[in-house]
This record gives sequence, C-alpha cells and structure tokens, in this order.
Amino acid sequence: MASQGVTETQLPKEHLSPSRLAWRAFLRNRTAVAGMLACAVFFLVAVLGLVVTKGDNPVLDPRQVRLADKFRPPLSSPNREAVPAEDLPRLGIYLLGTDDLGRDVFARMLEGAFVSFSVGFVAVGIAVAIGIILGGIAGYYGRVRIGVGALRLMSVDTLITGLIDVFLSFPSFFLILTVVAVLKPSIWNIMIVIGLTSWTGTARFVRAEILALREQDFIQAAHALGVSGPRVILRHLIPNAMAPVLVSATLGIAGAILTESALSFLGFGVPPPDATWGNILSDGKNFLFDASWLTIIPGTAILIVVLGFYIFGEGLREAFNPKLRQQV
Amino acid sequence: MLSVLLQIGWKKLWTLFFISVISFGVIRLAPGEPSQIDPLNPRFTPEVLERYRKAFDLDKPLYEQYRLFYWKLFTGELRSFKDSQPVLPKLVERMWNSLPLFIVGTILVWCYAFPLGVASAVRRNSFFDKITTVIVFALISVPGFYLAYLLIIFVVQTFHVDVIGLRTFGREGIGGFLNLMDRTWHVVLPSVLGATAGIAILSRYVRSQMLEVINSDYVRTARAKGLDEDTVLYKHALRNGLLPFVTMIALLIPGLVGGSVIIETIFAWPGIGRLGYEAILSRDYPIVISLNFFAATLTLLGTLLSDLLYMVVDPRIRLEKAE
Repeated sequence: MASQGVTETQLPKEHLSPSRLAWRAFLRNRTAVAGMLACAVFFLVAVLGLVVTKGDNPVLDPRQVRLADKFRPPLSSPNREAVPAEDLPRLGIYLLGTDDLGRDVFARMLEGAFVSFSVGFVAVGIAVAIGIILGGIAGYYGRVRIGVGALRLMSVDTLITGLIDVFLSFPSFFLILTVVAVLKPSIWNIMIVIGLTSWTGTARFVRAEILALREQDFIQAAHALGVSGPRVILRHLIPNAMAPVLVSATLGIAGAILTESALSFLGFGVPPPDATWGNILSDGKNFLFDASWLTIIPGTAILIVVLGFYIFGEGLREAFNPKLRQQV
Repeated sequence: MLSVLLQIGWKKLWTLFFISVISFGVIRLAPGEPSQIDPLNPRFTPEVLERYRKAFDLDKPLYEQYRLFYWKLFTGELRSFKDSQPVLPKLVERMWNSLPLFIVGTILVWCYAFPLGVASAVRRNSFFDKITTVIVFALISVPGFYLAYLLIIFVVQTFHVDVIGLRTFGREGIGGFLNLMDRTWHVVLPSVLGATAGIAILSRYVRSQMLEVINSDYVRTARAKGLDEDTVLYKHALRNGLLPFVTMIALLIPGLVGGSVIIETIFAWPGIGRLGYEAILSRDYPIVISLNFFAATLTLLGTLLSDLLYMVVDPRIRLEKAE
C-alpha cells in the first residue's frame, strides 16, 4: 500500500490507539450514533420500568385489572364512576390506552421493557460466554490432539469447528421452539435456550482473531515470562479480540428480542403474568381491528429498539474494521 | 485432490452423526422419560404410553433406542403419533408444498441483494446508501408476524384478493389462466416475507465485501488502465468479492426452514414449517425429531456442495488444504 507508506514516513502528529481511532470513525457515522442513542434510551426505559413497576405497591401497576375500563384508546381519562378510587392510574390518564382486561398499556410496556431487555441481555451473555470459551480453546489449543487412550482421533480445533458446523446446520428457530415446547416455556428456559443456540458466531470470530494474534510478539513475550495458557488467553488474547465479540453481542441482543416475540406469537413465549414487548404484541394482534394501538405500540417499540441495536452493531463493525473504516 | 475430498467427506460424516444424536437427544430434555410427560394430563392414557414405548423402544438401552429410531425412520416403519401415517412420505409431501415458497423466496433474495449491496458500496455514505441501510435493517427489525398482518390487511383491502392458503377456497375447479393467477397471488406474500431477512443479511454482506475489494490494489490498477467503471466494478471487483457467497447459499437453508414456521402458520400454508409447528403442539415427537434431523442434513448437503464449488472456483483453497 503506497499511500500508507507515505503517511508512515511523514509521522502523524498524534498517535492514537486503534480503539480511539475506531471510536472516532464511529462518531462520524451519524446513523450509527442515532442507533446507539436508541439503545441507550431503551436501557434507561428498562431500568426506569423496573423501578416504577416492581414491588408490592408500585407507582404504576401493570397488573391492575379494571374491567370497566377495557379497550380505552391512548390518552383517554379513566371512568371515575365505575373504577374504584384506589385502582385509578397514578397518572390520572391512560397514556397508551388499556388492553382487553383494562390494564394500563403504559405500565405494561414499562414492565415489558425490562423483561425484554433482560431476555436479550442474559441470552447474549450466555452465548458470548460459551463463544469466548470454545473459540478461545479452539484458537489457542487447536493443535492439541485428543482421543481415547493411545488413539489420537482428532485435534481440538477439528472438534470445536465441527461442533460449530453442527449447530449452524440446525434451523435454530425450530430447534429453540422444540426445546422450549419440551421444557415448558418459562423466562429462564427461553433465555438459556436462545443462549445455547446462538454462540456459534462469537466462537468463530474469537477463534479467527486468536489464530491471527497468537503468533505476534507480545504473545511470545508473555510465553517467555512463563505466563500460563489460560492466563494468556484471558488477559492477552481475549481483550484484543473483543471488537468482533462486541459487534456480535449487539446484534445478538436484537436477535434475542425478536426471537422472544416470535415465540410469543406461537404461544411459547415468556408466560404471563410477566409482560414482554413480544407477548403484549402477540396478545394485541387479536384485537387488531377494534384496538389497533395494542398492536401498533409494541410493534413500533420493538421496531425502533431492534433497529437501534442493528444500526449500532453495524456501525461498530465498520469502525473496528480498518479496511472498511472511512479514510479521513 | 482425492485426499482432500476424502477429508471433507469424513468430516461431514462426523457432523451428520452429531446432528442425528442432537436431534434424537433434544426430546430427552423433558424431565423423566418421554413416556412420563405430564402424568396429570387426562389425555395421558395407557394407550399413549404404549405408543411411546413402541415408537421409542423405551425398554432397551439408550444406544439401542437411538439405532432403532433411525432404522425405523428409514425403513418407513416410524409413524406419526397423530394420524399413524409413515413419517417419511408425510415429510416429503409437505416439503413439496413448501418448495414454491423456497424457490420464489431464493430468487427474490438473489435478485435484490446483489444490486442493492453493490449500489450501496459504490455510493458509500451517500443519501441512497444511508436510506437503504435503514430500510433494510427496519425490514428485519419488525417482528415477522406483525409485518405479515400489516401486509395482509394492505393487500386484501387494496386488491380484494384472497391470500391465505394454497389457493382460494372453493375455487378448485377453475382451470388454466385463472387458476395460475390465483396460485400466484397466494405465493407472493409469504415468499416476499420469507425473502426479507435473506435480502437484508445478504445485501449487507455484499456491501461490506465490495467495500473491502474496492479499496484493493488490483481494482485501482484496473481503473488506472482506463477501464470504464462498469467493467471495473462488475468484472474485476464483484467477481472476486463473490467468492465467500458460495458458502452462504447453504447457510441460508436453515433460515428458510426456521422462518417458514411463522410464515406458513400465518398463511395457513400446508408446508414443512407448519407441519413442524403442528407436530410440536400435538407432541408428535417422531415428526419433530425427523424434521430437525432432515433440515440439518439438508444444510449439511448444501455445505458439502458449496465446499466442492469453492474448490472449483478458487484454486487457492485446493492447494491450501492439500498441503
């Protein structure tokens, strides 16, 4: 690359670390920054939702049934004659309307924000943990051969990449559906199953990064100091391989939220009384013509948040890849 | 060359073995034996238990159960719990029904993803690039069933055509052109919806692949020679950038099967995805296991095919692996 050679001899005025360079490139991409803001807002709403709707006497009660006030459109006032005074919404108004049981959709959306967020977060946490461990082992100990007794059947790398191939072959949504149906849907089962089926991407990225990094000088230096294998992986290799992991984690949260809503649609989602955006949406679609807000509000909310995560992740991917980064 | 082929084949066989074990093992995740699922269920009668015992040979050791299950599957002895039909012909029939959706969906994906990706890469950071990025991601950010309902309402109210099912109910007799029109209307919506995810994912890959290639030296050389832009982009850049997509064809297969569960359920399409969902609802385990197994095997065959194709189109791989 002739142009790079020129800049090297000219010595740029400031020396920036690769991550600073990536961050600068990211901030220049305004679409991606908007995506990041959407994710940040979603995070705040989820935390706020937890604070406001949990506890014995929550500020906004998502489970308060008011049969006299069912199917009220957004921004309508409660029926003060039919609903007992202590059951009235604290805001004095149904900000986003009420559903078929007269529950406040605003409170349910707030509660659902936290549940949906934690489904995405825990599922991706499990997937990333498995991906880092298996990818790290495959990348670092890949050449070790394992087998029974004296018979050395295959190398560690063959085994783990084979396992990745196996998981990539399954139609993951159908596999998730099968497992959830067999185990009975519960919020923990759903998180674990989504996590167990979506680690392949992370594992592949980590393996590829480590294969590229392991021959570099700083790793040789660590070996020369007598640092143990697991410590080299965790302290020296993984931190340098974090960029693609971060990208796939961001995209994974979006995917997990969508998977949960698809499971809800088929009746295998997070069971009531926990509200998630997915099950609010799939309950609401039964009243699409009479109470369209029950479909449009959660649908649009999912669209905005998932879109935010996708654009954010895509922006990160471009910023961290020097070949794709915009030249200044 | 031959040793490479053998190596690939050996690896695929191992993968197939693990696929069959996982497909079979998933059902065992249920607490206790499959025969004891929900003993409080009033529909759980001694006959049901007997059926489980017969289908899964529960009195034999585990490896024997595994062997017998696949033996019965391929000899046609394994029958669905629901209607006692052999599993294999049932799967083939439903697969046949899903085929039009797969084909139209795949054609749509390939026809839209490549031009979109290339155009986005060439006009990087233009208004066009930004707007397609957002639209493409928005299409996969909407829960599929929400988008499907909106589209159904739109099409039915605007064009006054029926879109649910294989064909309009009660119009079986109409022949020729009208029948063709009717079938076409019913294929359009589900295959468009099935294609959205593929278009979004593939066009993003094409875009980033093109971006990497466009900045490389040989493309600059082609420009420096004074070739016109179309030749540079499509003959020099895209050809080399295309290589990784040979492997992507196979990896889109599981998405088609998994995605079809929701789409075929909404559109009441008697295909493979809906068969799977019905089987899960009625705990028809022979069908569920076989469906997981065959979908994964299909993907495996796809990857085998793309591995071979890759060796044909990229000689570097051939040499690298033979070393």
